Amino acid sequence: MFRFLIRVSAFISKELAEILRQTPLILTLVLGPFLILLLFGIGYRSEARPLRTLFVLNNDSDLKQQVEDYAKNLGPQLIYMGITPDQGSAIRALRSGAVDLVVVVPEDALKTIQDNRQAVIHIYHNEIDPYQASYVEYFGSVYIDALNHRFLHSTTEQSQAEASSVQGEVHTARVSIQNLQQAMDQGGIQAGVSDKRQLVDKMEEDLTNLDTKLTAFDRMDPTVMITPFLGEIKGMANINIKPAEFFAPAVIILLLQHLAVTFASLAIVREQRSGTMELFRVSPLGSFEALAGKYLSYLIFGGTLAALITATVILGLKVPMQGAWRDYALVILVLLFTSLGLGFLISLVAKTEMQSVQYAMFLLLGSVFFSGFFLDLRYLSEPIRSLSWALPATYGIRLLQDIMLRGTSVNLVPFFALLGIGVGMFIVAWWLLRRRLQQEWS
Amino acid sequence: MAHNDPMIWGKDLTKTIGTQAIVKGVNFDIPRGLIFGFVGPSGCGKTTTIRLLTGIYRPSGGEVRVMGKLPTKFTRRDREKIGYMPQHFALYPDLTVRENLNFAASIYGVGLGRRARIKQLMQFTDLFEHQWKLARHISGGMQRRLSLAATLIHRPELLFLDEPTAGVDPILRQKFWDYFAQLRLNGTTLFITTQYVAEAVNCDLVGLMVEGNLLAVDTPAGLRRSAFGGEVVVLKTQDTIESTQIAMIDQLPFVRAKTKRTDENEIHVVVDEASTAIPALVEWCTKQHLPVDSYQEYLSPFDDVFVTLIKKQSKDM
Repeated sequence: MFRFLIRVSAFISKELAEILRQTPLILTLVLGPFLILLLFGIGYRSEARPLRTLFVLNNDSDLKQQVEDYAKNLGPQLIYMGITPDQGSAIRALRSGAVDLVVVVPEDALKTIQDNRQAVIHIYHNEIDPYQASYVEYFGSVYIDALNHRFLHSTTEQSQAEASSVQGEVHTARVSIQNLQQAMDQGGIQAGVSDKRQLVDKMEEDLTNLDTKLTAFDRMDPTVMITPFLGEIKGMANINIKPAEFFAPAVIILLLQHLAVTFASLAIVREQRSGTMELFRVSPLGSFEALAGKYLSYLIFGGTLAALITATVILGLKVPMQGAWRDYALVILVLLFTSLGLGFLISLVAKTEMQSVQYAMFLLLGSVFFSGFFLDLRYLSEPIRSLSWALPATYGIRLLQDIMLRGTSVNLVPFFALLGIGVGMFIVAWWLLRRRLQQEWS
Repeated sequence: MAHNDPMIWGKDLTKTIGTQAIVKGVNFDIPRGLIFGFVGPSGCGKTTTIRLLTGIYRPSGGEVRVMGKLPTKFTRRDREKIGYMPQHFALYPDLTVRENLNFAASIYGVGLGRRARIKQLMQFTDLFEHQWKLARHISGGMQRRLSLAATLIHRPELLFLDEPTAGVDPILRQKFWDYFAQLRLNGTTLFITTQYVAEAVNCDLVGLMVEGNLLAVDTPAGLRRSAFGGEVVVLKTQDTIESTQIAMIDQLPFVRAKTKRTDENEIHVVVDEASTAIPALVEWCTKQHLPVDSYQEYLSPFDDVFVTLIKKQSKDM
């Protein structure tokens, strides 16, 4: 029993000593996830997302003032972005992400309502996230309800004003009848024939007006009366996207980023540990050649994996592919290139393979929270949101979603931003490797 | 670099890591086309010296030139002329023997004739049969052979081999040395470190390193002479050699040190040169009516040579 305890204690002391001698690793393991959660907690905005809304309306429309008043007073969820008569430019602004909603008010809205028909207001959004699309649809219906409410309110006010004029007309008619009765009672009929004629005409006119208004009111469709405006909400994506389909591009990107980062993060630290770097230092091998060779090999490997994952997603899970395969391949290539750069940087900073793996996992966790994988970046506040743009996955997810689900071509701004980060990382990794090869071996 | 210039030259070469001096004012002058054996116990500074000569380390003091250049300023072309085999296996365990050699050939830019060269080296190192095995699955000795083959792949002019025979069986070790001799014949200069002092006999020049100091640099014979004061002749007589006779031998003009009795009729005589001293000794014995049974030059094991040299050095210090 005593020997058993001694043997067990050998491992207790050995394992503890080994663990405690890796302080940076333990700090990363313990503090890393906490740091990510802390940043997420600071950056997360729990309130409903305000929607930047642009209205399409003719400059001379009767509704212009009303729409502007409604839009400005609807609440914090609507950010009024102005009124434009050009629907084409409004849709372009929507596609480019400058606005979140475009509300097209029909030119002849009032006439349509007067003609006893509902005026249809088209609301366009560019959401492909089913949850965001639901939110926008809900918001749109709330907006139309509010518009109807306000319109009804204003119409009621107008009707009340008209009712008082009708009341005046009824009062005038009554006065005319009283006058007529008085004249008849006094027997001076002959004397005031022309006056009496005028009184009767006036009475008839007032009654005709009243009759016309009552007829119009009677003919009014109750639905049009209660909801004069009807909202039709349309997404810019050509298809109805299911949640699983929406997440597919993000899963592809996150998987590829993680694989590329993990493999690259082990590549140089392993050479360092095995002693091959010492051979490289004596050989004519240059740092650029070594790095370029490593990049190319992992690009080939990553590209093959990407093809397999894509085939599984498209053929197995039947996720739609709306865009061009050339654009898809280009985005995957640049994502892999940038992720490899990140991995090589980790590899040049880490001292052990375990540290490299840990950093790669840390990056994966950060990407899950901050790349827009499961939470729309618009729910993150600055400066935490800026952190997201340091992650290749943030760009990759957006680009691939656009290509696969929206069917658009490569969005050049995020594409070149991603490429720029990749080139920057290549240069830094090259410089670090060059320094490493020139540094004294220890 | 002129042909007569030394291949490796160093003056007061020093390397300090942290506060510890690893190499202490070492001087080298190694001509091209020979085997330089760098011998010394583990931890004496052999590997550090090789790293200084290959440009991995910058000297803390002194000067060094390899192929007429500062090792830290080697160009790619200079590096293509150098082969370096580190002390530990530094290839890829998850690649096969052939793949490792292909990789080594690639980093040295070997293009034409690569297949033939790889085959030749695998045959030389007895790895041809194992060419498809992963490096992790071959024995330690095979891994040393693989490292050597990878070092030779680009036919370097100057070879730095850090303990190439460590962990290699004696038969293959001798084969290694035979191949090194063949390389030397082809004009290659070899700088070889070893803990096996007996291997010094295979070298043209031997440097003895102890605790960062280069105690001696000489030919193997020269080192023997330094250790014992000259060459040693073993003289065996039929009769007992008297003490008075030993004292008389010590007085002979070609005797360099006190004669040592190893048996009642056997003595070790330290002389200038064995080839001339032996006939003179035999003649002296004849005159003394001391019948000679046998005589020969005694080649002491290098272990003894080095132990003696180290002891002498310690006494001097």
